[in-house]
Amino acid sequence: MPSETLTNEIRLLRFLANDMTQAELGKRVGLTRQTIAAIEQGRYSPSLEVAFRIAHVFGKGIDEVFKWTPADGA
Amino acid sequence: MSPLENRAWLMLWTMCPIYLVYFAIQIAAPPWLSSMLQRIACLAVAAGAHGVISVVGLLVLLARQRGQGLLADERDRAIEAHATRIAYYVLMGGAVVVGMVMPFSKGGWSLVNAALLSIVLAEALRNLLIVRGYRGSPALAQ
Repeated sequence: MPSETLTNEIRLLRFLANDMTQAELGKRVGLTRQTIAAIEQGRYSPSLEVAFRIAHVFGKGIDEVFKWTPADGA
Repeated sequence: MSPLENRAWLMLWTMCPIYLVYFAIQIAAPPWLSSMLQRIACLAVAAGAHGVISVVGLLVLLARQRGQGLLADERDRAIEAHATRIAYYVLMGGAVVVGMVMPFSKGGWSLVNAALLSIVLAEALRNLLIVRGYRGSPALAQ
């Protein structure tokens, strides 16, 4: 049975933002470096507020940073 | 490793061996553990050793984490809340057994040790779930 997935482009966006470190991004959005790493690896789904903050740091919309694929793939 | 995970490992490594030895002694019931005073002394040694090692370990961890900035965020709080919620049920189950079932058939040190066992099990489970929350699947970290 297919499951829904939440992926993100944070690693790429950090690279494009002068190779911003996980610690620096964490500091700007109020998270620890470990949590940024967990989000990048898909091991943790952030709250909506944090997702907006991350998108804001990169000057993007939330849908440009996070991609959600429903279970039916639609 | 996150500060909360460090603390969980510390608690597991200090609490489990100490109370394993304590309960092994209680089950073996050696001859030198016959009087009330000796039993209290045995419990005091276990609790004291756990307390001292934990405090020293926490101080060392705090010293290492100094200057690292933010120590806990929403993920840490979610993992801790999830682990605490499940451990609470274990503690509640232990309280029911010790306070509502055992008094009809047992007494004295059996009750003391059963209460202590439920506390140790709940705390060990909580720390195991915290460690698992950091290393396990995404669902465990929510």
